[in-house]
Amino acid sequence: MDLKFSVEDQQFREEARDWLNANVFKERRPHGGEAMRQYDLAWQRCQYEGGWAGVSWPKEYGGMGLGLTRQLIWYEEYARANAPDNHLCFVGLNHGGPTIIAHGSEQQKKEHLRPILAGDKIWCQGFSEPNAGSDLAALKTRAVIEGDELVVTGSKIWTSHGHLSDMQELLVRTDPDAPKHKGISWVIFDMKTPGLELRPIEIMTAPNHTHFVQCFYDEARVPLKNVVGKVNDGWSVAMSTLGFERGTAQIKDQIRYAFLVEEMIERARERYGDAFVKNDEFGARLAQLRADMAAARAMTYMVVSRAQHNVSPAMASLMRAMVGEVQQRVRRLAFDIIGADGLENPEDDDWVYFYLRTYSTTIAAGTSQIQRNIIGERVLGLPRSR
Amino acid sequence: MDLLPSAEQQQIIDTIKDFLVNEASVDRLREFSAIGNPDFELWPQLGELGFLGLGLPEDKGGVGLSAGEEMLVFQQFGYHLLSPAIFGIVLGARIAASAGEVELRDELLSGTMRVGLANSRGLAGGPRDYHLFEADEADVILLIEESNAALYPRDAFEQIARVNATDAVLVLERATLSNAARPRAEVPVKVDNVHARALMLMGAYAVGIGEGARDLAIEYAKVREQFGKPIGFFQAIKHMCADMAIRSEAALCQASFASLVIDEGSPDTNFHAVASKIVACETAIKNAADCVQVHGAFGFTAEANVHHYLKRAHVADLIWGSLREQRERILTFPTPA
Ligand SMILES: Cc1cc2nc3c(=O)[nH]c(=O)nc-3n(C[C@H](O)[C@H](O)[C@H](O)COP(=O)(O)OP(=O)(O)OC[C@H]3O[C@@H](n4cnc5c(N)ncnc54)[C@H](O)[C@@H]3O)c2cc1C
Repeated sequence: MDLKFSVEDQQFREEARDWLNANVFKERRPHGGEAMRQYDLAWQRCQYEGGWAGVSWPKEYGGMGLGLTRQLIWYEEYARANAPDNHLCFVGLNHGGPTIIAHGSEQQKKEHLRPILAGDKIWCQGFSEPNAGSDLAALKTRAVIEGDELVVTGSKIWTSHGHLSDMQELLVRTDPDAPKHKGISWVIFDMKTPGLELRPIEIMTAPNHTHFVQCFYDEARVPLKNVVGKVNDGWSVAMSTLGFERGTAQIKDQIRYAFLVEEMIERARERYGDAFVKNDEFGARLAQLRADMAAARAMTYMVVSRAQHNVSPAMASLMRAMVGEVQQRVRRLAFDIIGADGLENPEDDDWVYFYLRTYSTTIAAGTSQIQRNIIGERVLGLPRSR
Repeated sequence: MDLLPSAEQQQIIDTIKDFLVNEASVDRLREFSAIGNPDFELWPQLGELGFLGLGLPEDKGGVGLSAGEEMLVFQQFGYHLLSPAIFGIVLGARIAASAGEVELRDELLSGTMRVGLANSRGLAGGPRDYHLFEADEADVILLIEESNAALYPRDAFEQIARVNATDAVLVLERATLSNAARPRAEVPVKVDNVHARALMLMGAYAVGIGEGARDLAIEYAKVREQFGKPIGFFQAIKHMCADMAIRSEAALCQASFASLVIDEGSPDTNFHAVASKIVACETAIKNAADCVQVHGAFGFTAEANVHHYLKRAHVADLIWGSLREQRERILTFPTPA
């Protein structure tokens, strides 16, 4: 056990901090639409041009080729500098890109990786379907091979930022007769392909907030060379993508939330005085969150430590399950602290918006229940339910 | 940065685990008798193996390892529900060493002394009223408070009265610290971060209790069958077990972090020690409660070991300030780095 970072790591930290302090966008990130897209791309481009994009991506694809520890340090400094979360770049940087790095052909790597890092292309994730959520392998969107093309017909849903995206990582069924995990392929899909229609879906945060879309594919044609990995081997390709999401991608969020708890304590003190913070109800909740956030950070360090020792990736679901729920408690407390102000939902204040937003942290990317199935079965060795 | 034990640390863990599995299986608490425990017989062996002075510098009679190793070992002590008198010995030796009481220190490190714990009864008693744990035959009694840490002779306490302990395998007394009490050794808690270290180690001990309850529940969930299936097949039980694992992971990670911070002498030492005690005690109590539920009626009996974990979790919580008091404290610290 060791908390010390090497001299080189510390040097990296200082350089990262300096660069971030000088370059972080100061303007507020727009909540939606083309403005948000332009903002996220510009900030990604800025990181790329500064040489800071893709800390753990291989050098040959424009990344920095550094290990997970540096990734952790980068995210810590990123959160400390209050750098904006460019959520629109998340799928490209954390699923699509890493999947192509792991399973893609040379041609696919050449064509797709740099635009993700450089802030030229936004990727979205087309996995879930109306009838395939937690049971992702039940997906039915069909892709029929015709010559050197795939012809896609069906529907995806909950595609975050689908309406603002250029590319999509798409899971399709290429063999309807094979067992359900066997006949799936992982495809690079261009969102400009004819035959694709989008239906925006409003989310609960406020009227007219669109976060995700439903995608309808009507004989949309995709070059066969856009299949990543082998045809019908998409399930194992997809599982490695979800692994990225469940592993390290949360570091930044977790650190941000730790800061948020501190901010809440300050805000509550300023607003209502010290007695309020010490009030049994709020005091106990704030205190427990302070302790839990410290633990969540330690868990993040453990995830990085385990990854370095190649210990079972399923263990990362321990952190994920904990962090998603702590985030909800943090935002709920923030909401309770502002009291009657919580009945107002102004555009220029985030506390209500983010309170409502955290109802998704126990649903997206594997619900808490699915996380617990994974922990029970793969970590603790309890009998499988299916 | 690496939060996992090193190869050497793993060796220490394996050694203490082996020792405790052979010498202190939790079944001993059932077999020994309804009241009391045989753990004092282990102290000389633990002394010989070096586990009592693990984190003390060599020039102070110890093994010269860090708070990290101490944390890992106390985690195992908790896992086997070792008598909390072990805190009296290990922390007592540190206090004696810091106070320059070399003879007392070495006697403690040899494991031949009986050491009790004094713990404030808080709002339940007056300012000088204490509970004494495992102190009926104690040579010295450890008392750690927010300002001082000291070892007192038993006769420093008055009006000693034996009470039935909720955790019945521990000997519990009420007592009042006499006005004339003179410690055999005393240091301000700032010396060596004794107070933070005590909280951190109690956190580690509680991590062990929570893991013990977790493992007992999982084991049972794999073998107990109802409706033709192991009960761990049912999600209600599976998810309860997963919850125990999630809590235990949080508690262990924070305990590891807190122990490393102490060694660095970081200004956040107190913050992380308190955070560790909060998360670990909450984990220990909740895991033990869930462990009862997973066992059904068997969990409600004294024939199962389950109730020992629950009761010891409450002991760990109440020593050196319960969740309520620690939550009050954690809000007083500045933002950690
Ligand atoms: C904000 C947000 C963004 C998202 N973005 C994307 C995206 O970009 N791309 C994409 O493909 N998907 C996305 N999703 C979809 C997400 O992956 C799914 O919502 C998730 O996998 C759950 O599926 P579902 O919503 O169909 O719920 P269901 O699977 O229908 O689950 C409903 C309830 O049943 C429970 N349940 C289901 N099966 C079990 C079981 N075996 N055991 C116990 N309980 C069970 C669930 O836990 C849940 O409580 C997003 C979701 C959200 C909320």
